[in-house]
Amino acid sequence: MTTLDDHLETLRGTDDLVSIDERVHWDGMAASIATEAARHNCPAVLFENTPGEVRFASGVFGGPDQFASLDRRPWRRIAQSLEFGPDCSYEAVIERLSRSRASTAALEADGEPAATALADTDLYGLGLPTADDGSPLVELGIAIATRDGDTSWAPIRGIERRSTRLRLAVPSAFADWCGERTDASVALGVGAAPLVAAFQGWTQDRTVPDVPGLATGIADVPLGTVDSRVVPSEANVLIDGRLTADGTGDDPSDRTAAWELSCETTTVDVSVDRVATREDPVVAFAPFEGPLTDDLHLASLVEAAQLFRRVNGYWGVSPVEWIRLPVEARLGLCIVSSEILYAGFEWQLANTLFSFSDLFDKVLVLDENADPANLARSIDDMWVKAHPGNDWIFSEPNAPSAATPTYRRNGETGSRLYINATWDPHWDEEYIAPQVTFETSFSDSVKDALEERWEALGLDDLIGPKRDD
Amino acid sequence: MTADSLRQYLQLLETRGDLHRISEPVSWNLEASAVTMLANTEDAGIPLFESVDGARLVGDPYRGRQRRPWDRIALGLGLPPDLSAEEYYEAVIERLNDPREPTTVPTADAPCKDVVATGDEVDLLEFPWPYIHAGDGGRYSNLHTLVAPDPDSEWVDWSYHRSMIHDGETASVLLLAGEQTPNLYYYKYEQRDEPMPVAIAVGAEPAVQATSVMWIPTGRDEAEYAGGLKGEPIELVECETNDLRVPATAELVVEGEIVPNERRDEGPFGDYFGYVHGPRRSMPLLRITGITHQRDPIIPFCVEGTGVGYSENSTSSMEVGCVGPDATLGLRTAGFDVERCAPWKSTPRTVYTIATPTDDDGALHELANFIFTTWGMLHVDFFIFVDADVDPLDQRQVLEALALHADPDEDFHQFGVETMPKVPLNIYQTPTEKGDVQTGTSKAKTAKAYIDATSDEDGAGDGDGGDIEFEYRAQQILESAGVDPEKLPFVDPGVSER
Repeated sequence: MTTLDDHLETLRGTDDLVSIDERVHWDGMAASIATEAARHNCPAVLFENTPGEVRFASGVFGGPDQFASLDRRPWRRIAQSLEFGPDCSYEAVIERLSRSRASTAALEADGEPAATALADTDLYGLGLPTADDGSPLVELGIAIATRDGDTSWAPIRGIERRSTRLRLAVPSAFADWCGERTDASVALGVGAAPLVAAFQGWTQDRTVPDVPGLATGIADVPLGTVDSRVVPSEANVLIDGRLTADGTGDDPSDRTAAWELSCETTTVDVSVDRVATREDPVVAFAPFEGPLTDDLHLASLVEAAQLFRRVNGYWGVSPVEWIRLPVEARLGLCIVSSEILYAGFEWQLANTLFSFSDLFDKVLVLDENADPANLARSIDDMWVKAHPGNDWIFSEPNAPSAATPTYRRNGETGSRLYINATWDPHWDEEYIAPQVTFETSFSDSVKDALEERWEALGLDDLIGPKRDD
Repeated sequence: MTADSLRQYLQLLETRGDLHRISEPVSWNLEASAVTMLANTEDAGIPLFESVDGARLVGDPYRGRQRRPWDRIALGLGLPPDLSAEEYYEAVIERLNDPREPTTVPTADAPCKDVVATGDEVDLLEFPWPYIHAGDGGRYSNLHTLVAPDPDSEWVDWSYHRSMIHDGETASVLLLAGEQTPNLYYYKYEQRDEPMPVAIAVGAEPAVQATSVMWIPTGRDEAEYAGGLKGEPIELVECETNDLRVPATAELVVEGEIVPNERRDEGPFGDYFGYVHGPRRSMPLLRITGITHQRDPIIPFCVEGTGVGYSENSTSSMEVGCVGPDATLGLRTAGFDVERCAPWKSTPRTVYTIATPTDDDGALHELANFIFTTWGMLHVDFFIFVDADVDPLDQRQVLEALALHADPDEDFHQFGVETMPKVPLNIYQTPTEKGDVQTGTSKAKTAKAYIDATSDEDGAGDGDGGDIEFEYRAQQILESAGVDPEKLPFVDPGVSER
């Protein structure tokens, strides 16, 4: 099972969660703490002492800046929440997400949601974390609605407006799918699978309304029903009501979640009839627009998986080893590692990626043996392998602007850039410089002798146990 | 305290638990460098090999910790151990602004004269110069101070050009035209068909080693700047076979002359950017005239190529801890409005980031032009300009600025495509393009670029421009909750401003 509660326990068990017991009551304080924790590569944070019904958690789908240390895996918390395993490689995460399809089996949604209705609690009573202006934040959750008997889930960003109303930004395509008015729920405090599925269903190249099916295709997500709507039954908070999508509401806040960069959004209102919570509920939130936030991590993996699927399904062969949109670059750079099939393939590959994603206008192309878990070396190669004159390739200035950068937000066209940090296929083998590594720098006899003399040289004290220990 | 010698510095390291003595015999032939490479990769202590063919080796003694590359250099300079990068830079700049004249001590008071060999007694091969990577062209001395005089003035340049040992009396020295000492050789001594007298101080005290990697302006006494860094005069002593003066506490001094119009093979070598570059080339010949040393000398060496990615070595840490502050001071002195200039932490020399309050296009161009035509001419290919509130040593912040603020249309500026000089120590030129020319630089020219990654809008940084009091309070709460305080910068709004 991949509930948020299970995930928090896993994080606690791996010393990747700290609890804040002191009362955090000022407007924006929890968000400030979450921002600082993300920016400085801290563990996830659980706020135990909150002013209302729910506790908050931040960074649960986030992760550290990978420049800081080689052993850091920014995708680890999401992989754990998806039950891919704590040591799941980046390639495996992307490969699994790229294969996700709506489950063809009939959804088993016969369970009861764990959340039970609170008789006398309105939205204010939940005590959701607040922005600087005091607005309670509704984030890292999903909007749930049905059409013709089918349920869909969509990503949300929003706030409480009065005690019985939510204002949410949702994908425009989802609002269109819902129609102008419909019964709906909002689920908060869910695991990664519903969020990833909602991103995949509504923010990517193709719309897949069967998001519950996508979610169960990714991971074991228990389902229940509210009225006729299929909901993640382990959600910590379920808010039921009536969704109005007349397109007249102001944006709920001046912030933008990362998933909104990939799709058009619109504003909807939810008038609330019922609020249900689990016992001792907890909700996740993210300080959008800071570095390394949860929504960036989720969007990064979803976009990379989509691109991986598309480029490897396009030419009859699958030359691409991996694709990363590093959260460190806030999705403004795409790194691709690929076999270079023929001279000029790097140009074709980079421009295909530009065609398939509107997020970025910079692509770094690496050789197929580049390590996706070594961001520092990947970027080093951009600086030392690519010729500063010949391998930084700018397009003519008529390309559409990208969504992530801060410039050309008025839609003005401009250039794109790709950097070719691969070896020139025309080069003789002898031209290609070998990397300085322990494996390549020393003969087997030197390495064997070192192994034999490890204890005598005191290398346990200096370096630690032998590599094969 | 500031270390007066390499061995005193190693004692300081040991006091701090940062030195690992290996008393078992170790071979100079790849074994010492293999241990050092592992220590570098694992962010471990500094290995001191106490039994290497009758002498001692120390592997990458100035390598800093991965999170704080400057910290062991700070130790050697007697600076507080807990300085932030910003504080460290300012402390070094303050010392460089207070140069101290060196003193000359009698030979009898100079530790480096414990043993003196001249004439037929000279034998370089008495010492365990390390063979560092399989595939290198030979054994190297590559962590030292090369002392060379201007024939037309009193100026003496200190630098650290590596030397490949050929036999007991000769070595080849990597001299790439464009840098100060190579220019003295190629354009003064060699043109006059005169040998250039030199001395190589191996295992000099930390302040001397730090100065050797800095670009001190022509005509200025490098020993004075080393004295500034040390906070007291450097003691020099006269050489035995030429008129040069060398740091008296050096472990070993090789005296000699770089002869005109004679070349020897040099390289290939696993170099600072993490690749073995080739091909083997011809470099000027150093003929040895004398060797003096302390008893039981300690020869430091650097396992080049390991200061990339996540690991540090002496070169990469000195780039951050010495070249960065020196470059910052140099740019400020030249009148540029610079907050800090720092190398891209995971690949020394090729890329520098400059945090500056200006986003004026002309000012940035002028700044780039100044650097590319002076100290950034040969090795540096890229400069990235970022806002003053971006930490140039924080690769995440810099990459984010590059991704979000650098417009491919307007902000990538290539200087002189195929018109600029380049060292042949690169891997993007073919052997033919690199050539093997008399003065060391590549035969084919290249390009350089600067990237304007400053934001065009106020407060459009990476979110680091929030309410500082809230941030400080938030960090206090995180620390109380059990977060390792080393992760948190704790910029106290009451005592500091950003």
